[in-house]
Amino acid sequence: MTATLACEGLRKRYGDVTAVEDVGFSIAPGQAYGLLGPNGAGKTTTISMLVGLLRPDAGTVLVGGTDLAADPRRAKARIGYVPQEIALYPELTGRENLRFFGRLFGLARRGLAGRIEEVLDLIGLSDRADGRLDTYSGGMRRRINIGAALLHRPDVLILDEPTVGVDPQSRKAILDGLELLVGDGMSLLYTSHYMEEVERVCDRVAIIDHGRIIAEGTRRELIAMVGSADKIELVLDGDVEAAYAKLRTVEGVIEAARTGAESVRLIAEGGRYLLPALISAVEGSATVTATQVIEPDLEATFLHLTGTSLRD
Amino acid sequence: MSGRPRPVAALVAANLRRLTRDRVGLFFMVIMPFVSIAFVGMALGGGTAGSDRLPVGVVAEGAEGSDPVTTAVLAELRRHPDLTVIPMDDAADLRSGVREGSLAAGLVVPSGSTRLELVMTGTNGSGMAARGAVDVSVSRVAAVLEATRAATVAGATETEAAEYVRQAQAEAGRVSVNDSATTGGDPRGFAYTAPANLLLFTFINSMAVAAALVESRRLGMLQRALTAPVRQRSVLFGEAVSRFLVAAAQAVLIMVVSSLAFGVSWGDPLAVAVVVGVFSLVATGAAILVGTLLRSPDQAPAIGPPLGVVLGMLGGCLWPREASGEVINAIGHAFPHAWGMDALLTLTRPGTGLGAVLTEVAVLAGMAVLLLGGSLILFDRRTRVT
Repeated sequence: MTATLACEGLRKRYGDVTAVEDVGFSIAPGQAYGLLGPNGAGKTTTISMLVGLLRPDAGTVLVGGTDLAADPRRAKARIGYVPQEIALYPELTGRENLRFFGRLFGLARRGLAGRIEEVLDLIGLSDRADGRLDTYSGGMRRRINIGAALLHRPDVLILDEPTVGVDPQSRKAILDGLELLVGDGMSLLYTSHYMEEVERVCDRVAIIDHGRIIAEGTRRELIAMVGSADKIELVLDGDVEAAYAKLRTVEGVIEAARTGAESVRLIAEGGRYLLPALISAVEGSATVTATQVIEPDLEATFLHLTGTSLRD
Repeated sequence: MSGRPRPVAALVAANLRRLTRDRVGLFFMVIMPFVSIAFVGMALGGGTAGSDRLPVGVVAEGAEGSDPVTTAVLAELRRHPDLTVIPMDDAADLRSGVREGSLAAGLVVPSGSTRLELVMTGTNGSGMAARGAVDVSVSRVAAVLEATRAATVAGATETEAAEYVRQAQAEAGRVSVNDSATTGGDPRGFAYTAPANLLLFTFINSMAVAAALVESRRLGMLQRALTAPVRQRSVLFGEAVSRFLVAAAQAVLIMVVSSLAFGVSWGDPLAVAVVVGVFSLVATGAAILVGTLLRSPDQAPAIGPPLGVVLGMLGGCLWPREASGEVINAIGHAFPHAWGMDALLTLTRPGTGLGAVLTEVAVLAGMAVLLLGGSLILFDRRTRVT
């Protein structure tokens, strides 16, 4: 099957500074693909090359099999690009902004009004469509910003940090909407530095840092890179020293550490299922007053791979 | 669903609609020009082309009717189409009238002498125009006197000589009817302020809408437009057409309203359209240049209109050019307004057409090519995919 969007060996340099080096991935039809990386990792530069705003120094971009460099207009017609900033006319209404993009993308005059209505419905702004954009909330502007990229029914939607500065309610509406689109078969390239969004929306994730893709795979594959051990935090009441000694011997516990006068941290396989055994192990010495099981996630993988937190 | 992308239509429609949402901008486009035309026009003597005679004070020491030189000079001055003769008793009053500017020039005609005294001040345009007209009238009188003397010397009686000269004058009069147009200077009243404000406001408002272009760039609209399946030059063209339409609409509005409300006659429609068209192109080029060079949309209204006002001053759009010195008028011709004024004022004279303003049109077209070409190249560089 032809990939909806595929890139290979993308490189962009500014003088001595390498912004992006040897970036490549492939997005299948109906697949939601996440590009995860800290600020300055090269996400926006990569996207700019994918949508034809930056010319790569090396590498190719294929949109539905069409080479972006060779036939840019045909390739661009299949892409819906949602820039990080709100790129809309503030003096115009939501509907007028959508009409602008409809004309720009060559929607036939006859079907334009109807398609605008459909998109407004999809992004949940039908009732506010005739208000000026500068009277909208940040979340509403974000939704029109996304809607403008959907009018021409692209094969792949490329979103560059679409939820920056959005209230939780609008964020949820945006993510729900994106899941619907993917469910309907649209491909998605989603960049964010919000781990939980990428975990929720994307089937497959590439982690990008310093301009290079350092890991790529499904969420499960990526998490497995840091192992499957869970972290268990226990708070104890009673003879903590004796209880700590007992906990170390429980089968499945790999490592144990005292983290305070009353607290112990364990690293264990299948932590959640180990809890009853841990609680009964300390009986007689102490009682467990609080527990927390932390399963490995993308954040852990990310920290492991890059040595930095995403929100630096 | 799919049709052809319509980037030019999309940009023009969006940009014009944005303009209609800008109330302050609309006020400056729709109301201000006419306020300016009306007030400055009334201050400059109101009316249209017909009432632009120059006031010339005359102190006649000999009595009109008995002194032949006085009689002849007064008759000639009254006959001149550009002059209004204001008889005065005292040469001192005459001098102060000229000094204050209530008289364009003054003439003292002594009794029984042909040594006339011309009173004028400085070298302003009205004074020069009046001097030219007075010179024409006086030299006609001199010619009559000389011809009469010659006829008398040749043996004619005074009555016969007078009759010969009258005949000769009648013949010459027929030939010299048209020279009035070339000595009259610029028209006054609305006939002056309407074209002046057309150029002034077309340019200023073009500069003001440059803010919208800066805003488009700042918002990333142009970049986003380039992710559509369109050519980059279509996007440039769409932006340029948007600005040109605004400039042209401003010019047409001023022409229509000034014709209907102030009775201004603009002259040959084709020639006026060409002049206004090339001037609008110049304004478009300047707007794109400003819109490309500036970073913040707030800078455009701060820089554009003041620049438009200064160029308007140099070009004679704020006050009559004759009130400025020759140096200012010469500097003004480095900029488009002065050439636009030259062309539009020439066209207000009856019988003139495109042929009379070819130089001005060529200069304006050259400026338009330079500004538009330069600004589009710059604009292209700033938006191009790199």
